Amino acid sequence: MHVGGEVDVRSAYCAASVASLTNILTPALFAGTAEWIARCQNWEGGIGGVPGMEAHGGYTFCGMAALVILKQEHLLNLRSLLHWVTGRQMRFEGGFQGRCNKLVDGCYSFWQAGLLPLLHRALHARGDPALSMAHWMFDQLALQEYILLCCQCPAGGLLDKPGKSRDFYHTCYCLSGLAIAQHFGSGDLHNEVVLGIPENCLQATHPVYNIAPEKVARAVMHFLQYPVPSLDPA
Amino acid sequence: EIGLIPCPEARYNRSPIVLVENKLGVESWCVKFLLPYVHNKLLLYRQRKQWLNKDELIDITCTLLLLNPDFTTAWNVRKELILSGTLNPLKDLHLGKLALTKFPKSPETWIHRRWVLQQLIQENSLPSLATKGSLGATPVERIHRLVQEEMNVCSEAAGRYPSNYNAWSHRIWVLQHLAKLTVKVLLDELSSTKYWVSMHVSDHSGFHYRQFLLNSLIHRTVTDKNIPVQKQVVNEQNPSLQKEKESAGTEAACAEEQSVDLPGRLDEEMELCSELIDNYPGHETLWCHSDESLNNSHHSPATSHMAQAMDVDGLNESSSKQGYTQETKRLKRAPVQDSLGPEMEYRFVDKVLSTCRDVDQARFATAYRKWLVTFLGQ
Repeated sequence: MHVGGEVDVRSAYCAASVASLTNILTPALFAGTAEWIARCQNWEGGIGGVPGMEAHGGYTFCGMAALVILKQEHLLNLRSLLHWVTGRQMRFEGGFQGRCNKLVDGCYSFWQAGLLPLLHRALHARGDPALSMAHWMFDQLALQEYILLCCQCPAGGLLDKPGKSRDFYHTCYCLSGLAIAQHFGSGDLHNEVVLGIPENCLQATHPVYNIAPEKVARAVMHFLQYPVPSLDPA
Repeated sequence: EIGLIPCPEARYNRSPIVLVENKLGVESWCVKFLLPYVHNKLLLYRQRKQWLNKDELIDITCTLLLLNPDFTTAWNVRKELILSGTLNPLKDLHLGKLALTKFPKSPETWIHRRWVLQQLIQENSLPSLATKGSLGATPVERIHRLVQEEMNVCSEAAGRYPSNYNAWSHRIWVLQHLAKLTVKVLLDELSSTKYWVSMHVSDHSGFHYRQFLLNSLIHRTVTDKNIPVQKQVVNEQNPSLQKEKESAGTEAACAEEQSVDLPGRLDEEMELCSELIDNYPGHETLWCHSDESLNNSHHSPATSHMAQAMDVDGLNESSSKQGYTQETKRLKRAPVQDSLGPEMEYRFVDKVLSTCRDVDQARFATAYRKWLVTFLGQ
C-alpha cells in the first residue's frame, strides 16, 4: 500500500486504476499481478486480501476491478464469484453484507453490488446467452430502499446502518451503490430503475473506477496524448 | 489489558492512571489533553523541529499507541528504534498485545506485528544467535514459542470482536510464515480451535480458518508425496500421529504424514458441522462450512485442492467454453469414492427439513439439498 506497508489486493486495484487512467500501464508493471489476484479467490467464491484469506466484499471488488482493467477477469471462477456475491444481499434489509453471517453495511452497496456490472460484462463477453438486457443480477429496488430509508442521516450525509453516525466514506459508497442500483448498462442498453420520485435519480457511475463515465473518457483521452514513460534513464 | 474509564471530569487532584491487577485504565477526561500533547511532540520530532532521545521516543510512542494504535507514524518510529538496536522487538509484541485488548481489529497493529515477527525470523536464522538466545532456548524452540503466543493473541482478539478478519488473517499468516504449515501445527490448530468455533457459531472467519487448515492438510499430503492419502473406512481410523519434528527435513515429514488420517479428519469436521447445525438452527456459516467440508471429503486429495485452482490441466482459461465446464471437469476427475458422506448428508438434511421450525434453517437446508444434487451429481 506504501513503502514498507502491507501488501494486499487493494494496492493492486489502486495501481491498476491509476496506471490505466494515466496511460502508464505496461505489461512489465503488472507482470504476475493478475495471477496473484486470482490466487486470492477462495473456496467461498469471493476474494480475500491476500491468498488464503477469507472472502471479503471490499477486497473482492478491488480484485475483480483490477482484473477487469488488466483484461484478465477470466482467470477467476466467475460462476462461484457470482454465487458468492449474490448471496451477500440480505433478504430482510435489502442491503449487502461484507462477509457471510455478518451484518449489512451501507458501504457494501458499492463494493458488493458494484461487482454485478463487472460480472455482467465479463459473462457477456464470454457469450453467455442467459444474461438480462435490463437488470443487474441483484435486487436493485431492495438495495435502493435500504440506502434511502435506512442509510440517510437526517442532518445530511449517509451511513452504515441506523444508529451509526455519518462519515464521508459511507456517504461516498452509499451514493455510489445507489447509482449502480439505479442504472443498468449504458448507451443504447441503458435502463433506469429509480425507486421513489424521479428526482432520486443520481448520475451514473463507472463500475470500474467509480467516477463519472465521462470523466474516465476524458482522463484516458488526455493521457493518451502523452507517450508511456519508459523506465530507462533519459 | 487496557481500557478507557468513562470519567468526563477530573474530580480529584490525582493521577488519571488506574492500575488494578492486570488492568490498566486511563480516565477519559485526560485523553483530550494527553493525546494532542504526545501526538504533537512526535510530529515535531519527525519534522526535525524538536529532538527526542531514545527513551523519550519509546515512552511517547508507547503512550500514543495505547491511545490510538492506528497511528502508523508511531509504529514506524519504533521500527527505526528496533533497526538501530535500541528497542527489543519483543517489547513491541507486548505493546501490540496490550493495544489489541482494547482495539482488537487495529490494522496497523497487526501489520506492525508481522514486520516485527519478520525481523525476529531473520534474527533467528543468524548463527550468532544460536547461543545468545534468552532463556537458553534454541532457535526452533523460540519460533515455537512465538507461534504459540501468536495463536493466543489471535484467539483473544477474535473473542473480542466478531468475525475479526484481521486477527484470523494474522493467524493464517503466522502459520504460513513462522510455522511453515507443518502437519503437526495444522492438526494442533484443528483441535485447539474446535471448542472456540463451537462457541462462536456465527463467526465465519473462525470456520474459514478451519477450512484453511483442512485445505492446507490436503495440499500438504499431495505435494509432499504425490500419491493420495489412503482412503480408509471410517471405523478403521488410524489416528496415530507421531510428534512432528520441527526441522525442515522432508523425508522425516513424509514418513509421518503417511499416517495423517485425512478422511477421518474430514468426517470429524462433517460431524462437528451437523452437531452445530442441529443445536444452533439458522446460521448460514455452518451450512457453508458443511458444503465445503463435504466438497473436500468427496473428492480425493489430489483433486480437492483443485477446488481453488482455476487451471484445469493447464487448459487456456480464456477460451469461451471453459467457464461453465469447470465444475463438470472437477467432478469428472474425482474418482468414485467409498465415502458414505453424501448419503449421510441427504439423511441429515431431510431430517433437518422435517424437524426444524426456524425459517432460516429451512431455507439453508433446502439450498444445501439443491447443492448436494447439483454438485455431487448423486
